[in-house]
Amino acid sequence: MAKQNDAFLKKLLATFRVEADEHLKAMSAGLVKLEKNPAAGRYAEIVESVFREAHSLKGAARAVNIKEIESVCQPLESVLAALKGNQLTVSPPLFDLLYQTVDALGGLLVGDAGTPEPRQVRLEPLIRRLGNAVHGQFAQSGMARPVTLAQHTPTAQLPDAQVETAAPAEAAAPVAAPSPVTSLTSETVRVSTQKLDAVMRQVEELLSPRLASAQRAKELREVTVSFVTWKKQRARIRPTLRLIERYAEKADNGAAGGLHKFQAPEFPAKALPKLLEHLEAEQLFMKALEERLLRLSKFAAHDRHTLAGMSDSLLHDVKEMHLLPFASLLESFPRFIRELARDEGKQVELTVQGSEIEIDRRILEEMKAPLIHLLRNCIDHGIEQPSVRQDRGKPPHGTITVAIAQKDGGKIEILVADDGAGIDAAKVKAAACRLGAVSAEEADKLSAQEAQALIFQSGISTSQIITDVSGRGLGLAIVREKVERLGGTVSLESGALESRDGGGTSFRIVLPLMLATFRGVLVRVGEHCFVIPALSIERAARVNQQDILTVENRATIPLDGQAVALTVLGDVLELPRRKLPHQDKTGKNQEKTPVVVLGVGHQRVAFQVDEILGEQEVLVKTLGRQLARVRNIAGASVLGTGQVVAVLNVPDLLKSAVRQAAPPPAAAETPAGTHEAAEKQAILVVEDSITSRALLKNILESAGYLVTTAVDGMDAYTTLKTGTFDLIVSDVEMPRMNGFDLTAKVRADKRLGELPVVLVTALESREHRERGIDVGANAYIVKSSFDQSNLLEVIRRLI
Amino acid sequence: MSAPQKNNKAIDWSEVKQRLETARIAIEHIWAPTAGETKQVLEERARALAREPAQAESADERIEVLEFTLAHERYAIASEHVREVYPLEELTPLPCTPSFVLGIVNLRGEILSVIDIKKFFDLPEKGLTDLNKVIVLESEHMVFGIVADAIGGVRRILRADIQPSLPTLIGIREDYLQGVTAERVVILDAGKLLADEKLIVQEQVE
Repeated sequence: MAKQNDAFLKKLLATFRVEADEHLKAMSAGLVKLEKNPAAGRYAEIVESVFREAHSLKGAARAVNIKEIESVCQPLESVLAALKGNQLTVSPPLFDLLYQTVDALGGLLVGDAGTPEPRQVRLEPLIRRLGNAVHGQFAQSGMARPVTLAQHTPTAQLPDAQVETAAPAEAAAPVAAPSPVTSLTSETVRVSTQKLDAVMRQVEELLSPRLASAQRAKELREVTVSFVTWKKQRARIRPTLRLIERYAEKADNGAAGGLHKFQAPEFPAKALPKLLEHLEAEQLFMKALEERLLRLSKFAAHDRHTLAGMSDSLLHDVKEMHLLPFASLLESFPRFIRELARDEGKQVELTVQGSEIEIDRRILEEMKAPLIHLLRNCIDHGIEQPSVRQDRGKPPHGTITVAIAQKDGGKIEILVADDGAGIDAAKVKAAACRLGAVSAEEADKLSAQEAQALIFQSGISTSQIITDVSGRGLGLAIVREKVERLGGTVSLESGALESRDGGGTSFRIVLPLMLATFRGVLVRVGEHCFVIPALSIERAARVNQQDILTVENRATIPLDGQAVALTVLGDVLELPRRKLPHQDKTGKNQEKTPVVVLGVGHQRVAFQVDEILGEQEVLVKTLGRQLARVRNIAGASVLGTGQVVAVLNVPDLLKSAVRQAAPPPAAAETPAGTHEAAEKQAILVVEDSITSRALLKNILESAGYLVTTAVDGMDAYTTLKTGTFDLIVSDVEMPRMNGFDLTAKVRADKRLGELPVVLVTALESREHRERGIDVGANAYIVKSSFDQSNLLEVIRRLI
Repeated sequence: MSAPQKNNKAIDWSEVKQRLETARIAIEHIWAPTAGETKQVLEERARALAREPAQAESADERIEVLEFTLAHERYAIASEHVREVYPLEELTPLPCTPSFVLGIVNLRGEILSVIDIKKFFDLPEKGLTDLNKVIVLESEHMVFGIVADAIGGVRRILRADIQPSLPTLIGIREDYLQGVTAERVVILDAGKLLADEKLIVQEQVE
């Protein structure tokens, strides 16, 4: 009972949070509007709307019994009521106070940590100040900060420690943590009833293909039944057939003998009418069967067509439900900018263009932290102090523009630009040298643009002072990583640096409109398949073996007259090196090596793969919560065949390739001499468990055998018919045909009869062991005491 | 006929009356206990009634677990954390992951990572096992699958029957153990496993 209550309360609270979040957002938006044009005729209307939001929030908080929110809303309402009644006029300190109140309320929504008492204590000064504000009294603005800061600092401080000790990997969190409005929206999404209805209709329509498929299944069953009947009739005619066969044989022998013995065998005349009758019936039956099958296949094709159309349109509509306008993300930004600028004594105006453009909700959610980071950068590094700006002949207030524009090919572009000082390439170079990212000579050679691009590297910052807002040089690296992970690109344009006024800075981010699909190239490395985003592939090529040259102990290939570093994808992914399978050795691919050239920015590396399988549309999914971040892997995708493949993370691959000072791949390829002696004996592994199958395959392959696998006895028997093997390693308990039956079948076969069979099984009893020997197995290994040296020993003894 | 009449005359009516009276008192006594006796009965009844909630609580002291075998050992895991069990048919191994991550699977469109807890616990590799089943564990913030050789089924066990762990006997670190039953079924603490940060792969290329 108590448990149920708890769950109910939890649900209630979650609903409340979503609702409260909406109220807070509306209040913020209202306050920003109010501050922009307090004199406009809509003044009263806006105050009223904010007042109503505060009131609704109070009511909602009371319903779920969150007293703290109620206690803040109470005096807030009084202030707003005073504004409404014109007993109070708007002023900057009042706005500060109101914003802080909204912030504090937001903090209460998110912070379930901490007991209510300290929170109540923390809120008291705020409540007091709201009370005073009603009478037009404002405390020092400085005093006000701690209330909100208290909530931000713990999260903002934490990253510092991590930055120094740990990888910048964890730094993705710090950018996200101090965001102006904490993310609550991601858990719920509003969909217009119109869109929802459309989807619902389509889902209901799915009933018809379902019924159709049931009908097809029924018809197929009937066909099977009639086929069985035919088989029975066929069996009945068999004795007759044999009679005729025997007659034909005797007649043949007689003719061949050449001896004119007048012992002509008696023709089985009685059998003939029966046979003819059967053939007649069979012809009719076959005709009927053909018609039926034709009809069925026509229907099935039709069903498939219908279903494909339906699922495509359903997918499209559901994807569309994922689209949200940029406005839903940007609405909180004006306030955030205002506060940040005020804290730094700067004046900043934000202009937003194209906020009505819609984009995948998941992309929007992911882009929140990078955008906030870029805006922080603009304010902290870009926009100058008003006095400096005036000296440079600019208006005292800086302008930040966020412009969103639709581009062709399902892409959108976000431009974040400021009219500030721009980026000083010399400073960036100096910072990069200090960090050791580039040498002094290298730095000299860099163009201004290349130097600016360095700021995307981790640890490089031109900021003299590290503030709690920015300056650690991590942010832009994270921005780039995030954008690239979404399949986008980010580039930088900074104005004329030589001119004293500086030309401002713009970041240009290009993103796919939908997260879901992008083009990917499928490659094979050993038995692994991977997808590489086509966006990052500069080209796929086949390279002549003799063109691979070693420069400073690193392999390189020529490409457009330039030497490009070559690495083996399998090595970069830390896959064990496999000896080349037979067919590749004999094939004519030998001298041509397929490579994929990947490039991000100015960096280019060629990756050697075993095979390039083609390009296709892929849908990228995350790896699940347990695999939060895997090196070199961005996600996973399900191919049309149902096979799951990993999608590679190109920026990671490039970094890994640089890090890994591997020997030239060509040299390492010759198999070690010890294995040559084995001369690739072929083993068939039969096992229904995928994990055991992979394990056995691994063990045997690393011992130098050529391994083929089968999933059960039936599969194995078919495989045996098509290839030559030296030995079978088989499980016993398998579907369709078990190991005992397989062994018996092998022993009964003329060609395979002598093939050694090793049974590896969980069945330990003596009877089972005896049965294994009865059917003709050469060895019987019990799984519970299995170890690989034992297996290899047994195999060596047998072949 | 005369003899009975004689007997009739010999009836001692006062004695009869007295006996009847005694019987009446005895009968009345049966149906109407004294105040003290009433109190005693009521108290007993009250005690019995008072005991009942205690018994109900002990029924709550059972936990429902899913039993499975892994490397020839019997394990169980509280069913409240188990989302589903499904057969492992396809598995895509992932490079650059710790060895306890077997790979990823497609579970009705959702990509799910599959973990070998034997490897995670650093248990010695013993023999060859099927690992044919995936038990999907889920909490509010985490979801992953663990492999098992066979599923034994769901049953309820008394909390009281769970002995504290015998780490030396089974080799799983105490942190992840809820205890061991009399039949030597090792009960894993799914909550702790799901909340464990060590299980989360969070790695970046330097």
